[in-house]
Amino acid sequence: MVGLSVGEKHFIQGGIAQDLRSDGRKRLTYRPIYVETGVIPQAHGSARIRLGATDVIASVKGELGKPSALQPDKGKIAIYVDCSPTAAPMFEGRGGEELSTELSVALQRCLLGGKSGAGSGIDPSSLVIVEGKVCWDLYIDGLVISSDGNLLDALGAAIKAALSNTGIPKVNVASETSGDEQPEVNISDEEFLRFDTSGIPVIVTLTKVGRHNIVDATSEEESQMSSAISISINRKGRICGLTKRGGAGLDPSIILDMISVAKHVSEQLIDKLDSEIAAAEADEEES
Amino acid sequence: MEYVSPEGLRLDGRRPMEMRQIRAEIGTVARADGSAVFEMGNTKVIAAVYGPREVQNRSQQISDQALVRCEYSMANFSTGDRRRKPKGDRRSTEISLVIRQTMEACILTHLMPRSQIDIFVQVLQADGGTRSACINAATLALADAGIPMRDIVTSCSAGYLNSTPLLDLNYIEDSAGGPDVTVGILPKLDKVTLLQMDAKLPLDIFENVMGLATEGCKAVANYIREVLLENTKQLEYRRGL
Repeated sequence: MVGLSVGEKHFIQGGIAQDLRSDGRKRLTYRPIYVETGVIPQAHGSARIRLGATDVIASVKGELGKPSALQPDKGKIAIYVDCSPTAAPMFEGRGGEELSTELSVALQRCLLGGKSGAGSGIDPSSLVIVEGKVCWDLYIDGLVISSDGNLLDALGAAIKAALSNTGIPKVNVASETSGDEQPEVNISDEEFLRFDTSGIPVIVTLTKVGRHNIVDATSEEESQMSSAISISINRKGRICGLTKRGGAGLDPSIILDMISVAKHVSEQLIDKLDSEIAAAEADEEES
Repeated sequence: MEYVSPEGLRLDGRRPMEMRQIRAEIGTVARADGSAVFEMGNTKVIAAVYGPREVQNRSQQISDQALVRCEYSMANFSTGDRRRKPKGDRRSTEISLVIRQTMEACILTHLMPRSQIDIFVQVLQADGGTRSACINAATLALADAGIPMRDIVTSCSAGYLNSTPLLDLNYIEDSAGGPDVTVGILPKLDKVTLLQMDAKLPLDIFENVMGLATEGCKAVANYIREVLLENTKQLEYRRGL
């Protein structure tokens, strides 16, 4: 995908070994993050994140649905990611499908917790309106517009920003319902429910190039990686999910090292992201 | 349903001959060779151009001109109710084809033999007139990529509802079932490169409606020229000329 000469490869690897990367960053610094919220007016919540030349949009839409019979007290949340061919010609046609699925599944694992919904960034039981009958189905759609590496972290951040921008309409239920009847519901267009997004983790991807780990790799750096670990960590420093990519094997002790590095990095990232989201929300209200 | 009120105002408060607000921005996709965002009211599309470059699939190579390809895709969240559409359904294939043919007509393909130009358009918000918005965005992106063209292509749609010709239909007007004429022109050469209409319309009224759409195209062309000029000035400034 990225055509690099032998010299360029050496330059990237040598830079990483000396803690000075091609764009002047240190190994553990992120590119500047730009957050814009409310970019898709039809959605209940949306955000656009730019991380260098990586550009992603996330939108949140709620639809009224029926909870599954196995979990009548929980709403459903689904994450889908699409890679637009604008990001790279190789995503044309069905070319982006593999990456889209990989990203969707990784995000689902990192942000939504297990099948029971335990450990989810958003409490699925807060989406229930009438137990066993009506609930909100939350559809989170990610779209990759431009890709320059580190898509997973960017998408994770975009989803976090979109969820904190989300207002789901309040639903009033007509009181008398009995038996199997679907209760009548009334969607209010004035009152909105906001989510508590403080529990949503951020995703930190550590990419191993040579003997060192870097965060926020560009696509040139990603082409030189041996393996990468994406770790989602919440504000309390708990690990919420983990995905390893890339072929090369890792020593178990190195994985533990990487996790502790990721934990350290995530603190700064969460602070930075929260302040950017707050600034974007303030901007949106002004305009 | 009443689409034009007795006072002569449309559902979104426009006059029949009024266009929605248009806005364009060049260079939004950093890694593409050329890119642009084009907005017509609530319709918003991104176009990215890659090329001219080596032909990826050798069997498609044309020895005396460039191969132009186009793909149109809609984001899941672009429409009012969320729907997951499979890629390459008939509607998007048709629109891809329309955009490709329209852009091919203005690109000087004979200057770039044995090469390939890819145009990708992505709809972020759909509120009627996506075809036109895509063509306008693609023109800007091609210009940004520095691809030689005969002229810029601009497009606009017009319709006929409540016995009034209406310029630049939005989604509600578009789904009213009346005729919808989409026109694409080369404004400097004064030639029509794209013309589509559904439903039926008497010949004399069609002439009016098409004239209106052509006027719309010219207005878009003026705006696109302004944007391109502004962009070129910025580039000049950055070079320190």
